[in-house]
Amino acid sequence: MKEKIRIFLETDLLEKYLLGTTSQEEALQVERYIAMYPEVRNTYIELQENLEIFAKLHAIKTPEGLKERIQTRIKKENSVRSKFYRYAIAASFAALLFAGASYFFWNQNQNLQEENVIVNNKIQNLEENMRLQLEDVRNQFIVLNNPKTKRLTVKGNNKAKELKAVAYVNPVKKLSYINVSKLPNLPENQCYQMWAEVNGQMLNLGVIQEASNSEKLMALPYGENAVGYITIEPTGGNSKPTIENIVANISY
Amino acid sequence: MSILLENHIVELLQERNDKAISLLYEHYGDTLYGVAYKVVRDEELAQDVVQESFIKIWKKSDSYDPTKAKLFTWLFRITRNTAIDKLRSVNNKSDKEIQMDVSDVYKLGTEGIIPDLMDVQDNLDKIDSKYQIVLDALFFQGMTQQEASDELDIPLGTIKSRLKIGLRELKKIYGSTMVFACLLSLFMN
Repeated sequence: MKEKIRIFLETDLLEKYLLGTTSQEEALQVERYIAMYPEVRNTYIELQENLEIFAKLHAIKTPEGLKERIQTRIKKENSVRSKFYRYAIAASFAALLFAGASYFFWNQNQNLQEENVIVNNKIQNLEENMRLQLEDVRNQFIVLNNPKTKRLTVKGNNKAKELKAVAYVNPVKKLSYINVSKLPNLPENQCYQMWAEVNGQMLNLGVIQEASNSEKLMALPYGENAVGYITIEPTGGNSKPTIENIVANISY
Repeated sequence: MSILLENHIVELLQERNDKAISLLYEHYGDTLYGVAYKVVRDEELAQDVVQESFIKIWKKSDSYDPTKAKLFTWLFRITRNTAIDKLRSVNNKSDKEIQMDVSDVYKLGTEGIIPDLMDVQDNLDKIDSKYQIVLDALFFQGMTQQEASDELDIPLGTIKSRLKIGLRELKKIYGSTMVFACLLSLFMN
């Protein structure tokens, strides 16, 4: 081990390290020796002290104004540095703001696109509804205005004496409608339902809304010798008519 | 240099307080100017070197590691390397203009002394010139021990022993006065 240290000290690696002229690799080697061996460490400290003493022997009084020149240069250096940092901070702030704004607008765009799809769907549904209703109204108009149309007054039987309805049947256009103008009140758990027997088949025409709009015409499926029925059913309607609860029938 | 003051300067450097530069200049300016002059042998160039070195010291202040080198060693390295670079660039320029003798870079000895340097010479006279030349070659001329041996025509072993004895003698002669100077500066602050 001693031999290793002696050989190391024989080289001028330590002197080169002192002056800062070693390569990266050499510097690492020297630093390892300094850390590991007190002898090397002490020699290094001694070399540093001697260097300082020897250098001080060569001290020359610095000329006037040199210190001020250096201080001015360093002030300039600092202002360049702080200016750079100021710009860097401003730039990163701007970048952050831009990213935030981009996200905000992207998000808004996304929402608007979704809304657009919904609105488009609604418009399509409305158009379809309108078309159907318009067609219905047109058919109603044709039926009501046609001279061949038969007008049938419908009255309720004993179970619903107050029931009044008018049916319009046009055998030429094969269209028929019914207008229920008056319905006796029913308990909450019951409702009126409309049926039609066409060509031997019983069709469910749905629940009659409680005289909500007495002007409304309900379409009846057309058929030769068809019979329409109004029955009392539990609220929400039934899948088959309850025969004993028939309150009115219309033959057309 | 008292350890207290040295630590204080290091702290200021690490805080990037430019008071550090003022203190460094007051305590090391003359020595570093002397080092720069010793290498470039021209007053104006030496001033440039000191200025550039201080800027480097300021810029690199966060890279200084007190566990790896004394403050002065670090300052010396920067100044010496700056001076050697300066000398090379000046020589390269003048090489293109006039064919100068390149061996001028390694001019040894004490010729060309300016009056301001008389004190330095007085101090150096106390060291035997045979040690002085070796120390000079290694510390200021940027030579390795092998290069100094070749240049001075002295065997490598002799270079090594003269370096050792020269440094020891240096301590013997100046060690005590340095301690006194440090104490004095401490009282004056």
